[in-house]
Amino acid sequence: MKKLLLLIFILTLIIVGCAQEPASQPSEEEPAVEAEVEEEEEPAEESSFPERPIEFVASYAPGGGHDTLMRTMLKIIQDEGISDASINVVNKPGGSGAVGMAYVNGHAGDGHYLMAATSSLITTPLTSDVGLTFRDLTPIARLGIDPELLLVNAESDYETLDDLINAGKVLNIGGTSTGGIEHIAAIKLQIIAGVDINYIPYQGDGEVVAALMGNQIDMVFTNPNSAIDYIKSGDFRPIAITTEERVDLMPDIPTFKELGYDIVVNIYRGVMAPGGVSDEVVAYYTNMIEELVATEEWQKDYIERNLIVEGYLPGEEFGEYLEEVYLLYEETLTELGLIK
Amino acid sequence: MEALDNLSIGFVEVMTFYNIMIIFMGSIFGTIVGALPGLGPSAGIALLLPLTFGMPVTTALCLLVGSYMGTMYGGRITAILINTPGDAPAIMTCQDGYPMMTQGKGGLALGISAISSFVGGAFGLIILVFGAPIISKISINFGPPEYFMLMILGLSTITLLAGDKMLKAALMTFFGFAIGIVGSDYVSGYVRFNYHPELIEGIDFVAIIIGLYGIGEVLFNIEKLIHLDLGKPSFKIREFIPSLKELKQITMPTLRGSVIGTMIGILPGAGGTIATFLAYTSEKKASKTPKRFGNGAIEGLAAPEAANNASVPGALIPLITLGIPGSGGTAILLGALIMYGLRPGPLLMVESGTIVWTMIAGLILANVILLISNIMLIPIFINIIKLVQKYLSPIVASLCLLGAYSLNYGMFNIWVVMIFGVIGYGMKKFKYPAGPLILSVVLAPLTENYFRQSLMLAQGKFSIFLLRPISLGILIVILVIAVLSIVNNYRNKAKKRVMAN
Repeated sequence: MKKLLLLIFILTLIIVGCAQEPASQPSEEEPAVEAEVEEEEEPAEESSFPERPIEFVASYAPGGGHDTLMRTMLKIIQDEGISDASINVVNKPGGSGAVGMAYVNGHAGDGHYLMAATSSLITTPLTSDVGLTFRDLTPIARLGIDPELLLVNAESDYETLDDLINAGKVLNIGGTSTGGIEHIAAIKLQIIAGVDINYIPYQGDGEVVAALMGNQIDMVFTNPNSAIDYIKSGDFRPIAITTEERVDLMPDIPTFKELGYDIVVNIYRGVMAPGGVSDEVVAYYTNMIEELVATEEWQKDYIERNLIVEGYLPGEEFGEYLEEVYLLYEETLTELGLIK
Repeated sequence: MEALDNLSIGFVEVMTFYNIMIIFMGSIFGTIVGALPGLGPSAGIALLLPLTFGMPVTTALCLLVGSYMGTMYGGRITAILINTPGDAPAIMTCQDGYPMMTQGKGGLALGISAISSFVGGAFGLIILVFGAPIISKISINFGPPEYFMLMILGLSTITLLAGDKMLKAALMTFFGFAIGIVGSDYVSGYVRFNYHPELIEGIDFVAIIIGLYGIGEVLFNIEKLIHLDLGKPSFKIREFIPSLKELKQITMPTLRGSVIGTMIGILPGAGGTIATFLAYTSEKKASKTPKRFGNGAIEGLAAPEAANNASVPGALIPLITLGIPGSGGTAILLGALIMYGLRPGPLLMVESGTIVWTMIAGLILANVILLISNIMLIPIFINIIKLVQKYLSPIVASLCLLGAYSLNYGMFNIWVVMIFGVIGYGMKKFKYPAGPLILSVVLAPLTENYFRQSLMLAQGKFSIFLLRPISLGILIVILVIAVLSIVNNYRNKAKKRVMAN
């Protein structure tokens, strides 16, 4: 009987251990940690960063955009020997990015954290009081941009932007959530190009694409990554793209600008460090990322695979860019009555 | 028979010793993860994902889909043993599974549910292999009005679950709607009740389930000083392999559950959950002895379990044909596919057909492995519970809190679980049903969103619900069900009056 009880006890411990896996996850996944542990024992000098393993923080679960970015970066940094520091990817999902932001902000002044940043960096603090803004963090680099494509179903009669402008009725346009980048693009389409639109928010790119596939709506704004296969397969017809210049990956698609309408909106993918970190830390990450974005692997495994438009900006310029983006969102969300 | 040719190529790829071992481990891992309250398919796949980066793509996918299927088998275990469903689709398993456990027939409940899970999974897989392209073509014709009607159909099962406690069930439904309101609303762009950053994405319904069922049950048992008497540990095969008569009894419910699960599982959002509720209530409706339901009817156990597992291949159909994830688990799979360098979308089957077929072959293999291993594991699970029955309450409570922590790796959900534990205790004490509450927590946001999207699509005209044939068809089904139940009610009351006289 006692033996059996002991067995049960051990089994329970195993089950508990399984459930706790995420806590110990980083050390299990990345063998690099073990190799670097010895280094910690050496006397840490004041000027040598990093002093201990660096955490790459993804504010969404594995498989999400933040996670993909951080893990691809880590893989290339290790494969190409860009840095010999030990680095772990840590997922802090929840609160539309708020949990991850709060986690990194909680380590202000400590450079051993690098966080993936996308539109939620600005929109979540704008729409909810999460006790911090993007200004509390240190911008390190913008890695690329996701433009928006205006698409119609290939079966539709609309061939060009002019057809949409002269449709003579209110057109249903789909995109992701109200107040998001696609909504902003749609509002600009109405104001600048004069297309009469009725915006329908969907949850996620998949639903947007499905709605256009099923002819539920007249047109959509979505990012190239979700649409490219449907353009290739001939299901969707691209009308225009929201970049300054034509994009190498899709050279046949005209920009709104060349069609005579100044609609340039896009979302960014970048990385941020906690606030108040030393110049040395900023220089360390800047060098690391400059080397990273110059590799062929980065072009192939991240930029091309996710159909991102290149747009590297170093820290300070990324910060200025974020201020511009902040103003755009603040203005739009205030006009829509979503924030006061 | 092109599908069969492709599938056999997939099987050739999958049948290496390494791959079979990987699928086996993934399945077992999935079963354990699924059995733990709070950890469901999403968590199972997310935990394994980082481990797959060094593997060949096909092996990695086999591991992920094996564990995905495994979690569906695992979810039923805690539902039956300790009345704590691991995820929303397992709620209906508690309904008759746990009463069987308290009657000392827990082993049989696990055996029956393993078999119906297998049949459900196999049925879904057959549809996936032969019908994926056609089904995906049909599914894109479903827009917000059709989904709204399906949500209403799902919610209408509450009236059937409620029995004679209609008012209490209605009260719980509204309570569920109120909880479902919390969080960011992508249709309006507002974030509601965002007093705490963790509330931005709403209250996690898995935490609510763990609180209501797990902690609520524990508190109730402590107050009533209920001592489960499950008997001494034993290893008799007859206790968990159903007899021929029982197998016959569950054949039709299992098949009906499989059909419902595959068809409804394809729907994004809450497909699996709605499917289990519909499967359960339709069995109860079809049964000649509906009174047995809720007291350990094996049909009421088999149908939702079959539906639950049939929804897994169902949810994969939009993923591999259109690149659209239909559930939390497939959403993470989508991320995984992209990380492996595949492009989920209309061209996936054309460009990477072999990999997809290998994944499907792996899923078929996983389903077989899971049936065998789950039946073998029954005596272990049952005897663990029998051994620790004196200490069951603290063990269940700690498992629940652990599960709550693992939802987001933070304290917040532990508070949610404890608050809903107290609510669940009160509900059990005063006999308020928990099913309608959970169903409306899950469906409320979807119902609300689809309703508003429909009206936006129609630019304000309510006629959109009547002008679209599929939407109108579902509406008619709902009306027929409603009229039939009202007529039935009157008849029963009239009969009673006659009897009384």
